[in-house]
Amino acid sequence: MLLEGSLELLAEAGVARLDPKQLGRRLLIEKDGVRVVLVRPADVPAYVDFGAADLGLVGKDQLWENPGGHYELVDLGFGACRLVLAVPESSRLAGPDTWPPVLRVATKYPRATTAFFAANGSGADIVRLHGSVELAPQVGLADAIVDLTATGNTLRENRLRVVAEVGSSTARLIANQASLKTRGDELQAVVKHLAEAVRKG
Amino acid sequence: MRGKHPPVAAAGPSASTAATPTTTDAAAGFRDLLPDEAESMRGSSEAILAEMRRWGYRYVVTPTLEPESVLSLGLGPEQRRRLFKFADADGSLLAIVGEKTVPVARLVSGRLRSARLPLRLCYAASVLANDGGRFSNRRETHQAGAELVGAAGPVADAEVIALAVRCLDAAGLRRYQVDVGHSEFFHGLLAGLRLDADVEVGVKAALAARDFVSLERLLGATPLKSAEQELLLRFPALRGGREILDAASRLVSNRRSEQALDELARVHELLGLHGLGEVVSLDLGAIRDFDYYSGVTFEAFGPDLGRSLAAGGRYDGLLERFGRPAPATGFVVYLDLVAEAMARSGEAPVLPRIDAAVAWSGKGLKQAVRLASSLRLFGMRAVLDTEARQAAEAADWWKVIGASNLVHCSGAATAAWTSRKGKTRRLPPEQVVGQLSGAAL
Repeated sequence: MLLEGSLELLAEAGVARLDPKQLGRRLLIEKDGVRVVLVRPADVPAYVDFGAADLGLVGKDQLWENPGGHYELVDLGFGACRLVLAVPESSRLAGPDTWPPVLRVATKYPRATTAFFAANGSGADIVRLHGSVELAPQVGLADAIVDLTATGNTLRENRLRVVAEVGSSTARLIANQASLKTRGDELQAVVKHLAEAVRKG
Repeated sequence: MRGKHPPVAAAGPSASTAATPTTTDAAAGFRDLLPDEAESMRGSSEAILAEMRRWGYRYVVTPTLEPESVLSLGLGPEQRRRLFKFADADGSLLAIVGEKTVPVARLVSGRLRSARLPLRLCYAASVLANDGGRFSNRRETHQAGAELVGAAGPVADAEVIALAVRCLDAAGLRRYQVDVGHSEFFHGLLAGLRLDADVEVGVKAALAARDFVSLERLLGATPLKSAEQELLLRFPALRGGREILDAASRLVSNRRSEQALDELARVHELLGLHGLGEVVSLDLGAIRDFDYYSGVTFEAFGPDLGRSLAAGGRYDGLLERFGRPAPATGFVVYLDLVAEAMARSGEAPVLPRIDAAVAWSGKGLKQAVRLASSLRLFGMRAVLDTEARQAAEAADWWKVIGASNLVHCSGAATAAWTSRKGKTRRLPPEQVVGQLSGAAL
């Protein structure tokens, strides 16, 4: 989802010009002295934290699940979406005062979900899923879901209603801790170009 | 984005890849070190301890277990959470040490209470953590460290940093760099901003998480804009040579930060005297995980690892918690990471090999025992066969042992010496010893 915005940003900042059509199924591209690695969103923090990549472009939603281990440097502005608590339209659940003592929640975001319920002083049994979370309440796997939504369409199609916002996310620029030190000048220059491109919009 | 190869994963599950552990598996998060790796790590550990000894640091051993209440005195909540804890027979809580600085502080305030300061102490040990954190699923890691207790000031700070660098040299690392920072620089800035208590908590949390997006938002919402605020936001980039101290001192206007800059200038100068100008940078934005640091701190980084190989700093407040107020500084070298860094950069030490496999048959045993002893006296590694073998079978055994030379004794007069090249010569035993020790020298 962030691919298009990321490629635009890299081009605007003069870091690398990559055509999405040319990319095809390639995962590793060397261009203009920069090596770009395409990985699944959830894997970006791992590539950066372990130093396989110096910098990463990734949604804040992924950082909730993989905190620490890297510097979070710039809010890139694009890729806006919300992490929401949603229940079936037919459900009586609404605000926190209507939640049972322990709500069963299906999500791909167990850490963010745990933190949210802890902050609200209520309990949740978290069922960790890896996809199609919308299905869980329809078949009785969970009372509610915590999932990402940009337009709300998927939720509506699955007759789910948002009852609370857990967090809001945009794409972020993250950096490996050691790279900022061992190759500080090179990296800071790239960071600066990216931040300027974001500011110009 | 300019990437390196992804790190090699830790050795995977051994016999069983399925969920059921077998009786030959180590516990989850623990692993066996095989001879190549174990000898290499022991070699760097010994080299590091020898270097510490040359600087006058005395070796101590503290227990693997400490009362949890002792460790809690020195550790933050996150480190406390990661301790392996269990109940003693009397119900009190024990923990396996996760780092050695706190136990050494206890020792200096306890049994070494009457020892005069300064004390220079060092240790090598494995430490345990319940979870390895973000970077590793290993729960046991190996460390060597040194503590200089009872010495304040830049000369002591520089000594400890210089010693850490020399320890990395001694371990055989060639490419690394050291970043020196000062924890008071940040604390001074933060105090100078006079933030509301809840904002300050948020700012500290954001910095600890290295989350500069949240930090900018928090500071952006405060009414006052100052040069010091700007400085906080530029934390990841506040790194360089001596010149960044001057640049920073023009922007700060609080006594604590100014003093930190003065101390860093002095330490930087002293590190030059130690001959370390090349490898040392100053990093005013250093953020460290241990909350006991109170002054100059440092971290050493290798080229491809993404993490620090050695780290340390001043912790003047820690001993006071044990009832013996004293300034102190020290560091730890992460032996596992040093080994990994060397293996990856091709700097791994040449591993010790066995020099001679000594086989025998018939009446040759007596000669073989003597010959093997003589070789060992000359400092060579010799393996003596445990059963009689004729020359042909001895060659197979030689391959199993993996030695450079085979010596076969079948009588008192001569021994048959075969070198790796495959040439066999019959010589009197003392000449074989002479030839081998000559070749080994």
